[in-house]
Amino acid sequence: MGTLQKYFKQSATYKIFTGVYDTFYDFVDTLGKITQNGIQLIKALIKGGIDRKELIYQCSRFGVSSLPITLTIVGMTSVIVASQVALEMVKQGGGNFIGMMMSILIVREVAVIMSGFAIISMIGSSIASEIATMRVTEQIDAIRVLKVDPVSYLFVPRVLSGIIMMPFVTIIAAAVGVLAGAVTSDLFAGLSYRAYFDSAWLGIYMKDLWVSLLKAVFFGGTIALISCSCGYYASGGAKGVGLATTKAVVWSFVAIVVWDMIFAVAFFF
Amino acid sequence: MSIEVKNLVKVFGDKKVIDDVSFKVNDGETLAIVGFSGSGKSTILKLISGLLEKDSGEIITSKGDIAMVFQYSALFDSLNVADNIAFALHERRDLRKKFTEDEIKEIVKQKLELVGLKGIEKLFPSELSGGMQKRVSFARAIVTEPNTILYDEPTAGLDPISSTLIENYIVRLKEETNAASIVVTHQMSTITRTADRVVMLYNGKIVYEGTPSDMLKQDNEYTKQFVTASLEGPMKMMEGN
Repeated sequence: MGTLQKYFKQSATYKIFTGVYDTFYDFVDTLGKITQNGIQLIKALIKGGIDRKELIYQCSRFGVSSLPITLTIVGMTSVIVASQVALEMVKQGGGNFIGMMMSILIVREVAVIMSGFAIISMIGSSIASEIATMRVTEQIDAIRVLKVDPVSYLFVPRVLSGIIMMPFVTIIAAAVGVLAGAVTSDLFAGLSYRAYFDSAWLGIYMKDLWVSLLKAVFFGGTIALISCSCGYYASGGAKGVGLATTKAVVWSFVAIVVWDMIFAVAFFF
Repeated sequence: MSIEVKNLVKVFGDKKVIDDVSFKVNDGETLAIVGFSGSGKSTILKLISGLLEKDSGEIITSKGDIAMVFQYSALFDSLNVADNIAFALHERRDLRKKFTEDEIKEIVKQKLELVGLKGIEKLFPSELSGGMQKRVSFARAIVTEPNTILYDEPTAGLDPISSTLIENYIVRLKEETNAASIVVTHQMSTITRTADRVVMLYNGKIVYEGTPSDMLKQDNEYTKQFVTASLEGPMKMMEGN
């Protein structure tokens, strides 16, 4: 290697460009793999033959196991928001709009996106690490040698459970969030439950509800698909499992924020 | 003929891991593939089983299933022993509706008995010893009645007595199923007890082919070095091997 070439490879410019290239390559590679798995998943769904027992187990994991943490996060977020604004709004004469503001905020955004975040941390990370461990311990190779389609066996029940359960989680989270807002407004600003709920109903339209549920379907499916994909392509040992889990969490967070933005522009702009 | 490999080549990056390898294994015959770590032994099994794509050459197998026993068993740790063994019968599209649950239970019991195990259907892999996990993975491999069985270092990490037991089951499975078997191993006891023929790999190429007894005669420089576990000889250990 020539001296010039050697110095060039040690330079900050070279390192910045190779770093950017590697990051971009990894981004395109991951996106490609997730898309490819998404297509395989649709093919597997069309072929049918879903393992119902596994689907029920995954639904319970996605919906029931995640519920305590999801409700805690959504409830506490509602408490924080209500405690920050309720007293101020009452002082400014806007007490009658607290319920409306809280219901719009919770039904349109807080319930679905906070549930998404909670599910990524709890279920997405667990799906990614589970499948990544299966990969590094050759269990996925064993599935392939036994002539079972790994996408059909591993992805289908998990992604379907995300699609099925996320709307239910969102509905329960929204109810808890609105209720938490009512209790907080009463405690912090002395707003009656009647005044809160009278305005809360005024703020919600059917469109808000179905867009929120549609978002939940997309969020649930996306979180499960990304988590499965990141786990599926894990390599190496324990480090590989850790990297796959981190990747699943980061990608899922970014993906649901992107989805949220697309929905906001498409339906409320 | 059950498996025929012709001029097989596999390249990783710029390294030829398998370089023009050819061999045949007949029904009811066991071939041992031996060699240093990194010589490409497990890669051959992955190519035959379809886990890796070959770059060139041919792999011809008779119709029927290929089973593989993995080095660390690769049992599904979230499923119990019975569900591990019955996995293909439950999940494979062509087998899913072929058997009733009672028939599957009976098949699982038969396969477990074939590998000398009884009454462990409800246990999970984490509750089994290494040797038992290996035997359960044998039972899982033969559940589809394969005509080719691939063993990736079946006795690695086992104590000598468990190794002998596993070697006996490899011979027994061959006799019961008349399958063509390939055993990748480092261990001399596994070679001498299970194999009818031996192929030795070095740097992705076959450097010896013969019977286990001929291998022990040490006429070949490569086998001589392998059998005597010598650092002196034609095979140079790279750092990290």
